[in-house]
Amino acid sequence: MPELFHRKLERSAIGFVLAIIAAASVGGIVEIAPLFTIDETVEEAPDMRVYTPLELAGRNIYVREGCYACHSQMIRTLRDEVERYGPYSLAVESKYDRPMLWGSKRTGPDLARIGGKYSDAWHVAHLINPRDVVPESNMPAYGFLGRTALRTDELADHLRVQKTLGVPYTDEMVENAARDAYGQAAPDSDFAAGVTERYGDATEMSAFDGVATQLTEMDALVAYLQVLGRLTEAAYQNTVAPQEAPDPND
Amino acid sequence: MAIEERDSVTGRETTGHEWNGIKELDTPIPRGVLMFLIVTHIWAIAWWFFVPAWPLGTTYTKGLLGVDQKTTVEAQIVAAREERAAITRRLESEPYDTILADEQLMTVVRGAGRQLFGDNCAACHGTDGRGRAGYPDLTDDDWLWGGGPELIEQTMRVGINSRHSDSRIAMMPAFGRDGMLEREQVRNVATYVYSLSNPDYSTEQNVATIEAGREVFAANCASCHGDNAAGNRDMGAPNLTDDRWVYGGDLQTIINSVHGGREGHMPTWDERLTTTDMRTLALYVHDLGRRQP
Amino acid sequence: MIAKLTSSERQTAVVIVLLVAIAGIAMAAAGRNAPLGVHGLVVILFAGALLYSLLSAFYAPEPTEEREESYYDDPIKVGIVLAMAWALFGMFMGVWIAAQLAWPNLVFDAAWSTFGRLRPTHTTGVIFGFGGNALIATSFHVVQRTSRARLAGQISPWFVLFGFNLFCVLAVSGYLIGITQSKEYAEPEWYADLWLVVVWVTYFLLYIRTLARRKEPHIYVANWYFMAFILVVAILHIVNNLALPISWGSAKSYTIWPGVQDAMVQWWYGHNAVAFFLTAGFLGMLYYYLPVRAGRPIFSYRLSILSFWGITFFYMWAGSHHLHYTALPQWVQTLGMTFSVMLLVPSWASAGNALLTLNGAWHKVRDDATLRFMMAAAVFYGISTFEGSFLAIRPVNALSHYTDWTVGHVHAGALGWVALISFGSIYTLVPSLWKRERMYSPALIEWHFWLAIAGTLVYVFAMWNSGILQGLMWRTYTEEGSLAYSFLDTLVAMYPYYIARTLGGFLFFAGTAIGCYNIWMTIRLVPATVVSEADLPATRAAPAGE
Ligand code: HEC
Ligand code: HEC
Ligand code: HEC
Ligand code: HEM
Ligand code: HEM
Ligand SMILES: [Ca+2]
Ligand SMILES: [Ca+2]
Ligand SMILES: [Cu+2]
Repeated sequence: MPELFHRKLERSAIGFVLAIIAAASVGGIVEIAPLFTIDETVEEAPDMRVYTPLELAGRNIYVREGCYACHSQMIRTLRDEVERYGPYSLAVESKYDRPMLWGSKRTGPDLARIGGKYSDAWHVAHLINPRDVVPESNMPAYGFLGRTALRTDELADHLRVQKTLGVPYTDEMVENAARDAYGQAAPDSDFAAGVTERYGDATEMSAFDGVATQLTEMDALVAYLQVLGRLTEAAYQNTVAPQEAPDPND
Repeated sequence: MAIEERDSVTGRETTGHEWNGIKELDTPIPRGVLMFLIVTHIWAIAWWFFVPAWPLGTTYTKGLLGVDQKTTVEAQIVAAREERAAITRRLESEPYDTILADEQLMTVVRGAGRQLFGDNCAACHGTDGRGRAGYPDLTDDDWLWGGGPELIEQTMRVGINSRHSDSRIAMMPAFGRDGMLEREQVRNVATYVYSLSNPDYSTEQNVATIEAGREVFAANCASCHGDNAAGNRDMGAPNLTDDRWVYGGDLQTIINSVHGGREGHMPTWDERLTTTDMRTLALYVHDLGRRQP
Repeated sequence: MIAKLTSSERQTAVVIVLLVAIAGIAMAAAGRNAPLGVHGLVVILFAGALLYSLLSAFYAPEPTEEREESYYDDPIKVGIVLAMAWALFGMFMGVWIAAQLAWPNLVFDAAWSTFGRLRPTHTTGVIFGFGGNALIATSFHVVQRTSRARLAGQISPWFVLFGFNLFCVLAVSGYLIGITQSKEYAEPEWYADLWLVVVWVTYFLLYIRTLARRKEPHIYVANWYFMAFILVVAILHIVNNLALPISWGSAKSYTIWPGVQDAMVQWWYGHNAVAFFLTAGFLGMLYYYLPVRAGRPIFSYRLSILSFWGITFFYMWAGSHHLHYTALPQWVQTLGMTFSVMLLVPSWASAGNALLTLNGAWHKVRDDATLRFMMAAAVFYGISTFEGSFLAIRPVNALSHYTDWTVGHVHAGALGWVALISFGSIYTLVPSLWKRERMYSPALIEWHFWLAIAGTLVYVFAMWNSGILQGLMWRTYTEEGSLAYSFLDTLVAMYPYYIARTLGGFLFFAGTAIGCYNIWMTIRLVPATVVSEADLPATRAAPAGE
């Protein structure tokens, strides 16, 4: 009889502890471990780029400000989401994301494919005061980002740790992290050339906050927003998503 | 063995233990609970059979239905697209004039266009399309590049100063900042431009400034904005004689425009929206303007 | 309180506090111009305040009474006061952020007051600050009473309590100055996480050693839940927070879990934080204070077994219901969904067990607002777990996810269950801890009860409405097959509900404030009673063996 056994268990604190650990461990192990062993969990995407140091810094600002509290970055496999936001998100698209920022609440719209949707100037104006451009908005104003210089002295450490964790940054990228952050936001400067060399021609070079002579947190955050959804084309391939390059004859 | 006792309210026996006054009854688990447990288990097991459920090392059970959320949603999208095909085909292939004349089709355009505009364009041009400083009003009849549906579609497809390779280029030089004009000249030409839409401003005391400005304008601006400043749609140069402004028509803003130049950025929608969506929007925007008095 | 420590214990306490202070100095030095430096200062101040109170009573006379002959209640008292203080703070933040969503200009022109930074101060404040302190305090109380043994430590209960509060202070102050991992409910950075591990291991050892001293051969159900709470939270916390700091001198770290795996680990954690922090621990409270207050035996011991093991086993599979239709493979979602539905049975079994325990005591529920708090909590527990299992079904979640429906569900559980059971327990506990005849004002408890109920209902109905409305608007198609509403249309439709929610939240907050006042006045003004014989540990080994 189970009760008899249970009565025994109730008399041993250690036994009870072990039983709880046993009962509670199964679920997590069965659900988490296979995500590392089943290959198709994360799709192949040979064109996948890494975040540039500036984009990574911007991502960290996004993390710091808790934007995930209002914005998801995960387009679900539902028709209305695909039709509104673009192709559903793939696991590979957040392969280098630590932490993932899929979010759990959409007070504001999904941002998984926001990159390229608006101009830098719009983002800057919107972040300084959302209600200047979208009167209906309840998003907070982030004017201080434009007034705060971006810290670049630790960027190399950031890249180094990411590299340790398996993100394919090269030593050269780590060494030039701070330089490349400047370069990306000052396309006409001497620092710029190295950025595309290391991170590819698809890298967006721009004076994101409108001023090339100073590097602010605004630069970084806008650079990050502009790369969202654009690290790989994988989501647009082999899918019927309407955003597939349109063919006028079909 | 502890002594079991009977609870007077329920008539049940206790388990015989007591913790600081708390006792427990030995009531058996109600039938309903067990039934409920069985039902939920059957329900769960059924799901495990039919859809992907259990991991098996390097793979997982695919389920008898062979479904997967990705293929499911794609099938739904294809089906929905087929359902809409009749309308879509007309929107995509029929000349704009035909569609504009077809009230029924225009009702569709207004419905779909409103949502597309709200999700893609309203951030800049406002939910009502009336724009705001830096973002042109799309409801009036004053156009930078032209308000016919074909032209609007083209503007959307390539964008303005966008990253699209065929982008429309709208470049108003920074005459003051880049030293092409003196401070004084900037002021003069701005005053002249201001007077175009504010005839009252041409008072005696201003007339000299305005005249000086007129000369500056002829030498520097007319090439883009036209001799009479009525604008040039080939270059996206706005009409400076009316009271509709992209950036603003007060004297100071005009000075700013001339001093610092302007280079508005309208993104390309080529990769983001389908041809149908773009044509729908072109019609919608065109229609917005038409409805305005 | 310090007077009840022996002088060698006082010395040990001073040494521990000094070690913490040194850690604070190291942090302040390493993070000179960075947020970490601010946290160093916070640690130094925290340790300084403790050191001050320790030293001010350092030379007080040695405790004379035989301590082992009484329960160790001082840390419990402090824990209750801290819990109520955090409740005020956390709920005030809740009202503020609720108001911000309705009136976005309710901010200062400074980073710290933006929604994204304040929101986690609310969740951490209420879950960990209020809930955590209430759990620590009540678990100390329950384990002593049901074991008839004094806590197995003199300093460790204080270490657990203050250590935990230091963690909460670091967490909340961190968000304000921009330190966060943006992992929901696990936002604090690596050093705070490490500190919590130390605190939590101490908590576990203290708990299990106290249980080992018990004079009753069987471990009471409430303790099963408290043990599950302590153990599983430790496992979850450690696994989810594995991270590499970018350097020892920086607050910033990167989690070791990438992308999709991080999502799974995060919601395995997040969901079970709900299960073992917000549910198991509070069921422990329910299983003690409800029968005590009602004066009734637990309805069914066998049902207790079924629900306990059901909850412990099934919950751990359910986390993936937070990731339906996402890039997480569908097989995991299926497991999350099915286990969530099976989980309903043990959940309702505990709610039912509590309500049926009230048979024979319903007249008390009518007359006694304290017991009514606990009854209502059990009802809301039933509602929110039913709702949870319902929301976990994929097609339902397709509608609810990302909307305020989730927030409504959260607060049906958080306000209706977690907060109400805590208030009921605290009102039971306060007079007995401070040896008072009764609470200062039963009328104020009534007021609190009705404000809390009204607040919860207004909040939850507002969010059900807004959530379902928004979910439907997002997916509404016109007859011609195009989406009917833009996102902005749906945002505009939310404002009336955001205003209603703010009002509901304010009512709830007002009730809490009244509760604080009532507790304060009880401690200050209500005359003391003598200690009852029953409220003493069995000091002589009196095995009630079987
Ligand atoms: C209080 C909730 C809230 C917070 C916090 C918030 N946002 Fe928003 N966000 C919104 C809302 C609502 C909208 C839609 C209205 C608008 O465009 O302003 C929005 C829109 C946006 C958009 C435009 C999306 C689109 O497709 O139109 C971007 C980009 C954005 N937010 C970025 C951010 C970033 C970056 C942060 C953090 C620094 C942030 N938001 C914080 C609520 C929020
Ligand atoms: C990031 C902001 C932004 C968004 C989003 C945007 N636009 Fe624009 N749009 C602009 C700006 C800026 C201009 C004017 C460019 C200039 O000043 O030369 C413009 C100009 C236009 C014009 C030309 C107006 C004229 O007078 O010729 C049309 C038409 C237009 N937009 C339509 C749209 C439509 C349709 C959408 C949505 C699919 C859209 N825009 C989205 C910023 C935007
Ligand atoms: C190379 C072509 C070019 C020249 C030369 C030029 N403009 Fe422009 N101008 C433009 C374009 C294109 C725009 C629209 C820019 C935009 O909207 O982003 C513009 C915009 C303006 C505006 C802002 C209109 C509004 O609606 O807010 C003013 C004012 C203006 N020009 C005045 C002048 C004056 C005065 C001169 C001569 C000193 C001048 N422009 C010379 C191309 C030119
Ligand atoms: C049978 C029990 C329960 C089940 C199956 C369950 C299920 C769920 C589901 C499906 C969600 C929505 C996830 C999403 O779409 O994002 C959710 C969210 C949540 N639930 Fe429950 N729930 C249960 C009980 C409770 C209880 C008792 C509480 C107590 C407070 C609670 C607190 C929460 C919280 C805090 C969230 C929000 C998580 C987030 O997104 O941040 N749940 N739950
Ligand atoms: C005065 C009472 C309260 C008010 C006004 C309030 C208000 C809020 C608001 C406005 C949010 C943010 C919702 C959003 O992002 O849209 C929130 C989130 C949350 N609150 Fe409360 N709250 C209150 C009490 C509590 C209590 C007592 C608890 C827990 C014990 C709690 C737990 C949570 C949780 C877990 C979330 C996150 C939900 C999610 O991510 O889905 N709240 N609250
Ligand atoms: Ca959430
Ligand atoms: Ca953490
Ligand atoms: Cu959950």
